[in-house]
Amino acid sequence: MHSMPDSDSLTAQFSAAMTRRQFFRRSSAGIAIGIPALATLLGDDGFAADSATDPKSGGLAGLPHFPPKAKRVIFLHQSGAPSQMELFDYKPNLVKSQGVELPDSVRMGQRITGMTSGQSSFPVAPSIFKFNRYGRSGTWISELLSHHGKIVDDITIIKSTYTEAINHDPAITFVQTGFQQPGRPSMGAWVTYGLGSENQNLPAFVVMVSQANALNPDQPLFSRLWGSGFLSSRYQGVKFAASGDPVLYLSNPPGVPSPTRRRMLDGIAKLNRLLAEKYGDPEIDTRVAQYEMAYRMQTSVPDLMDLSKEPESTFELYGPDSRKPGTYGANCLLARRLAERGVRFIQLYHRGWDQHNDLPRDIALQCRGVDQPSAALVLDLKQRGMLDDTLVVWAGEFGRTVYCQGKLTATNYGRDHHPRCFAIWMAGGGIQRGLSIGKTDDYSYNVLEDPVHVHDLQATILHCLGIDHLRLTYKFQGRYFRLTDVAGNVVKKILA
Amino acid sequence: MLFDGTIGRAHKQLSSLRLLRYPLSLIFAGGSLVLSFLLLIAGALLARPQAASQGGAAGARQVTPGGSVVFATQIRPILAARCYPCHGPDVQQHGLRLDSLQAILSGSANGKVVIPGDSQNSHIVRRLLGLEQPQMPYGGPPLPAEQIDLVRKWIDEGALGPDSSEPVVAAAAPINDVKAAHSASEKPVDFNRDIRPILSDACFTCHGPEEKSRQGNLRLDIRESAFAEHNGYRIIVPGSSATSRLYQKISSKDIAFRMPPAWSGRSLTPKQIELFRQWIDQGAKWQSHWAFDPPKRSAIPEVKDKTWPKNPIDNFTLARLEGEGLKPSAEADKATLLRRVSLDLTGLPASPAEVDSLVADKSPDAYEKRVDHLLESPHYGERMAMPWLDLARYSDTHGYHIDSLREMWPWRDWVIAAFNRNMPFDEFAIEQLAGDLLPNATLEQKIASGFNRNNMINFEGGAIPEEYHVEYVVDRASTTATTWLGLTMGCARCHDHKYDPIKQKEFYRFFAFFNTVPERGLDGFEGNAAPVLSLPTPEQQQQMDDLKRKIAAALTAMPENDVLALRNEWQKTRLATLAEPTRDALAMHYPFNDDLSDAFSRHDGKLVRGEITYEDGPAGKAAEFRGESEANLGQAGDFDLHQPFAIAAWVNLYEEKGKVLQKRDASEHWTGYELGLEDVAFTRRQERNLRVVVRLAAAWPASAIEVRTKNRVRMDSDHHLLVNYDGSGKVAGLKIFVDGTPWETETTKDDLRGSFRTSAPLEIGNKNIGGAFKGRLGDLRIYTRTLSDTEVEDLAVHLPARVLLTKLGGTPASEIAALQPEKPPDEADIGELEKAEGKEQKQARLEKQDQARLSEYFLKHDAPEKYRQSYSQLVELRKEKDKLEKSITTTMVMAEMSKPRDTFVLGRGQYDNKGEKVTPGVPAFLPPMPEDLPRNRLGLAKWIVDPSNPLTARVVVNQYWQQHFGTGIVKTAEDFGSQGEQPSHPQLLDWLATEFVRTGWDIKTMQRLIVTSATYRQSSRASHELIERDPENRLLARGPRFRLAAEIVRDNALAISGLLNDKIGGPSVYPYQPAGLWEEMAFGQGFSGQTYTPSSGPDLYRRGLYTVWKRTVPPASLTIFDAPDREKCTARRGVTNTPLQVLTLLNDPTYVEAARALAQRALRMGGRSDRERIDFAFKLATARTPDPQERDVLLGSLSQFRSTYRRDQAQVTKLLSVGESKPDSTLDPREVAAWTTLASMILNLDETITAE
Repeated sequence: MHSMPDSDSLTAQFSAAMTRRQFFRRSSAGIAIGIPALATLLGDDGFAADSATDPKSGGLAGLPHFPPKAKRVIFLHQSGAPSQMELFDYKPNLVKSQGVELPDSVRMGQRITGMTSGQSSFPVAPSIFKFNRYGRSGTWISELLSHHGKIVDDITIIKSTYTEAINHDPAITFVQTGFQQPGRPSMGAWVTYGLGSENQNLPAFVVMVSQANALNPDQPLFSRLWGSGFLSSRYQGVKFAASGDPVLYLSNPPGVPSPTRRRMLDGIAKLNRLLAEKYGDPEIDTRVAQYEMAYRMQTSVPDLMDLSKEPESTFELYGPDSRKPGTYGANCLLARRLAERGVRFIQLYHRGWDQHNDLPRDIALQCRGVDQPSAALVLDLKQRGMLDDTLVVWAGEFGRTVYCQGKLTATNYGRDHHPRCFAIWMAGGGIQRGLSIGKTDDYSYNVLEDPVHVHDLQATILHCLGIDHLRLTYKFQGRYFRLTDVAGNVVKKILA
Repeated sequence: MLFDGTIGRAHKQLSSLRLLRYPLSLIFAGGSLVLSFLLLIAGALLARPQAASQGGAAGARQVTPGGSVVFATQIRPILAARCYPCHGPDVQQHGLRLDSLQAILSGSANGKVVIPGDSQNSHIVRRLLGLEQPQMPYGGPPLPAEQIDLVRKWIDEGALGPDSSEPVVAAAAPINDVKAAHSASEKPVDFNRDIRPILSDACFTCHGPEEKSRQGNLRLDIRESAFAEHNGYRIIVPGSSATSRLYQKISSKDIAFRMPPAWSGRSLTPKQIELFRQWIDQGAKWQSHWAFDPPKRSAIPEVKDKTWPKNPIDNFTLARLEGEGLKPSAEADKATLLRRVSLDLTGLPASPAEVDSLVADKSPDAYEKRVDHLLESPHYGERMAMPWLDLARYSDTHGYHIDSLREMWPWRDWVIAAFNRNMPFDEFAIEQLAGDLLPNATLEQKIASGFNRNNMINFEGGAIPEEYHVEYVVDRASTTATTWLGLTMGCARCHDHKYDPIKQKEFYRFFAFFNTVPERGLDGFEGNAAPVLSLPTPEQQQQMDDLKRKIAAALTAMPENDVLALRNEWQKTRLATLAEPTRDALAMHYPFNDDLSDAFSRHDGKLVRGEITYEDGPAGKAAEFRGESEANLGQAGDFDLHQPFAIAAWVNLYEEKGKVLQKRDASEHWTGYELGLEDVAFTRRQERNLRVVVRLAAAWPASAIEVRTKNRVRMDSDHHLLVNYDGSGKVAGLKIFVDGTPWETETTKDDLRGSFRTSAPLEIGNKNIGGAFKGRLGDLRIYTRTLSDTEVEDLAVHLPARVLLTKLGGTPASEIAALQPEKPPDEADIGELEKAEGKEQKQARLEKQDQARLSEYFLKHDAPEKYRQSYSQLVELRKEKDKLEKSITTTMVMAEMSKPRDTFVLGRGQYDNKGEKVTPGVPAFLPPMPEDLPRNRLGLAKWIVDPSNPLTARVVVNQYWQQHFGTGIVKTAEDFGSQGEQPSHPQLLDWLATEFVRTGWDIKTMQRLIVTSATYRQSSRASHELIERDPENRLLARGPRFRLAAEIVRDNALAISGLLNDKIGGPSVYPYQPAGLWEEMAFGQGFSGQTYTPSSGPDLYRRGLYTVWKRTVPPASLTIFDAPDREKCTARRGVTNTPLQVLTLLNDPTYVEAARALAQRALRMGGRSDRERIDFAFKLATARTPDPQERDVLLGSLSQFRSTYRRDQAQVTKLLSVGESKPDSTLDPREVAAWTTLASMILNLDETITAE
């Protein structure tokens, strides 16, 4: 039995938060002199300064719009687009159609990428992997994801997600910013802009990237995926580096021991305060506070990254990769540690799912890196009681075609990009457990039931955080922009 | 479910919510839900008159404890106030009507909403509480908890009536007294300043320019409609707010009648409503949108304090201050002012000497002289270029996907030079928009046109060219509109603009100006994308001319028709005379004709694993191995140390390494031999190259030979490989031939002692032993002797010709591709449908390929000698030309297609949804293009800078104002449309705009005017009261004070420390950057811009604007200080204040090294005492000497640092090793370390990174 969220305490926290915001809004009426000392990592730029900004959290006053079920999000982005047919969308009957031309009645003239549009034939390539049933729900899951078998009763699988883009750049930008072209804020930036930070020592929005297990080349990533678009740059994600300083320039330079650094900071603070007396500019006070915050980060980040105090059982849970910094396994473990420390939006990117050829070889390698840590994260959050208020999302940017790209053989094939359906899962705060929704046609080509558009997914994520996606807006170039652009419906069916 | 059965708790939560005022700043930009609401506005605003009722207000009534709830008096008022707008007489969302008891109980289209006796399961309650989404009232604040309590109680008591037969419907009751004329105490209301912004934000979505969503055919953005009669009502009656329908609507207390409707999320404040009343009663003077009217040059305002103004700017600002009852601040001291103006005009700090000389100069125009000097500095152009590069979205990479490098720095340098030579702004604009179209365009003018090639470009595999081409053109249209016109034109891509009078069709007419560039939808693989301008040095130009002449001569020497005739004649007879490859000592031959059998049936191969397919190869068939597939050729090739042999095959490798053949045992010190391709090197694009490697081992690595070719063969391409081994056991006896020619090798091991014979089979692909093979293998031959050079040539060169001759038979060629002059690059691949190549097309293409290969063979080997010579010359010359071309700098430019592409309105902005065809043109609300201007970019550019254009001059001077004051006179520098902010000083803006045009668009004169004004010269110190009153300094009662722009934060530190390399222009540079930032997100090798290697030497210390700008990973230390990613046009940057900035200034090696350089500078030149040196360093950074308190802090810190570094030599060494520059060895390292730390403090001061 998983523990039910304590509605009393959630409600109480919600009320407390609202009252506190109210208080701060009042106390900061007019100009916020003195408030900068409270400023968080989000800082204050006077650019997008909104009179409705809550100076404590840096979020908007009046948010959340309703009691949130989740306080934070861990988004496990499987970059390159995993094949749904090999993982979650079980199509046992396809074996019979091996090599048979995909019927036109299925494709219905829908556009395909420039990579296979030149193919004269679109032969069906059934998955060569076995599926097994797991959990009380008896959900079919691929043999490649045996560890997921342990969490099927904790997650909701959506086999009917679909998107509009058919290539990586626009598709991944669409999932993360709600728009295919650059220029819009990322989901994490929207959430941070709306809800602010929950901690004083770490960024509110952290990004980590891990490299492919597969052999085929990776798709590139772009910092716009965690950028702030037209929102203030204070809302952009902070990408932790896989090696060296996790946060850029975190360490003191060689030859500057910490007592010396402390003395420097004290000196700088004194001088800046003297300046503030002269100029009266509240920005100077804010800067003084930022120096203290930076100093705290120098302790809190290494503490976060230091896995030496994790018990052996943690590494057993997350698998051997979790000991190797920079791997997906290690990043999943760090995601849990970030969540524990009140980081609002944690975004992982795992590269290497773009299997146009040699799919069987590469997807197997890829799953070896991804299966156990993904499942472990859910189990770990659950055993710590954090799954109730943490939303975990596991998704790529689109699916893959049932027809083979390149040469089809009994053991080898490739798959092109496919926007019309793909499988993702969600778990935790606000989401039902042990549910599977969405039905695709016999070829895993078109959605038959429960279509979930990318904007629906985004609306649902915001909903779990207590945000009405229609009401989280920002006026830019005269228009009130939203993460969900002009669309999006909360997927009520999966809400707990 | 979280709240099942816990409604009581939800109440508690809502009681706390009650206190909140929701910021009603939301909007519904679209969506079906919204569409369905739209009727409401039409209905509500134009509804028939309703009976007056005072009962509209709700919620304040008391509930008698214990008593039952009365529907008519307690529930209906709540519903009327909060629910009727969407569920009342005019509109019934989802079929639900709540204005009568019967209607309530009958529910919505989805069923019952009230279950009498069970409030807990009544949807209406669940919606009111937010237990179901969307929460009600939709888009508005929730009901107060006591009202929800009332509703619940009423339902639990059975949801009983009695109902009054008359629904409570709202009324248009004017609230305020009618005033015939405005009272004397009222300030005149200015429509543009006070009224239009409210109309735009609150009303235009449904009553604005966009046709589709317009309600009731009422427009409030144009006078004709707003003052007309609609359905018997006059919307605005000048002088009579009471009879103006607009005012009745906005001021009504009846929420069902009131505009804007509750669901819209917009509401007007009492102050705004009062403004409307005053405006109407004052006569409702209408003005068109201020920015769309030509600037009016008003008289210079009279001011009380006649002594303060230094130029007309000051009269405008002072007049405003005097009106506000404020006084300007005192002038900043000379040092502060000089530092400020130096950073503003050059991005570099004033040197102490410059400060001292200004302070010493007592002449009245001392400051002005310095300003003139700064305007003449070559660094002025760099400073002016910085914001321009943001607008132009300048970058060193393409931006999309793989994001590899491009070269646009010649354009960037053109911008710097244009500012430096003070090119008038109109020319500056024309050359950047249409330099290529100017008559006899110069090279420089063509380079300038690159402004609109700075857009992002894509070449993601699989992307659809037309889709991206549309994005490029949209970007050009939007960027041009933002940069010059301050218009959000891009908003009209998918539908008419919602706020400004720009129709969707007009957007595409504007788009059409930029749609005829001869470019490809997908391009940029190898750097710049067509069209490009080549910028050879004079020397390169000469070489190029020379090569072109020679190539032309070579071609003339071989008339294609003559050669073709000879060749076709030759084709008929050649096969008969062409020798077959030797069969002498041919032990094994695998032709791979659909199986693995040996032609002699000695050692037939068998497939051990995976699959093999058989394809056409260069010499007959070839077997394709898939990486996992594996063939065993048994005891073929069973050789030993003293047995000479030759192994030959056609190989085409698909991966970055592969074992072609191996015969080695499974032991650790494997015995046997192998032939493979390894050690990948990337050239351009995805072109990978590999060395041929041969190994023979008795015991690896102790007793073995290993040789590899010096040059590399191409991956994914056919090569003939042959290994000759003479049985000597020495490397000297081993030769590798590639494509018929012996290749030079390097020996990595030559120590074979003993037998390498093994019983292991000869294998193709065995990933467990040796390695896998993924690729094609054809015509495998094994000889038991070495082959002569001619025999090798027979195999590698003549055999393929035999195969071709056989295959083509007598079919003659119709052309000789190699002898055709180079074609200009394709104009465009846009609009081509994705079509699978038909069978016939494919066959024709392959035959053409075969003919071309045969022609090449003929020209190389069999043509008459003069032709052979000319051909070999031609091949060499073309190689040379190719190499030269790659070494020449290019820059992307605009150009026009010879046959211009048509432009269509794109439905919903989608590339494949073509509508009406349109011609280039400008929006109708702006002055028309004069007849005599061409309808192309040149005409557009001239129209943009025509003095009759109301926007351009205003937009540009506002950009300059923003540069100097931090905020523009119009804060939304990117939007001068109806949703943009109003100018803080409209008359000043207009005066500056007209002055700009009057002075011939003289940019330097404009800068000078601004920075010599008394307004600019004010001290930026401010009292708390002033900051509280005017936090953003919009009134200009003090001087500007803001953090330096990202690049200048860097430039300033480098200049202070003396490290700065102030070279101007040239290719971008790679300063220090933490390792891995690019690589972690890159596509991998094979493309440029995927790995970051820091520059070395002087390039490390160049100004920030020269830092290489990769859009998907913009320079970290600059973006931390708010530099944009340059994906899109940016008209203003934010200024954040974050801990990441702190970490950068304290720890980035750039700043640590700068601190050391500053320390050394102070120690060498700052005087003898600590005090003098501190003053010296402090003054370099801030242009002033520290006051005693500050100096004491620094002295105190220094003594602490000194004692640390005196004790700890190890730390000294470490600290001094940061950065590439060497520490000054004449100084005591311990002192340098202590001072470095102190200098770092100085570089970190708020004052150092702020212009104040």
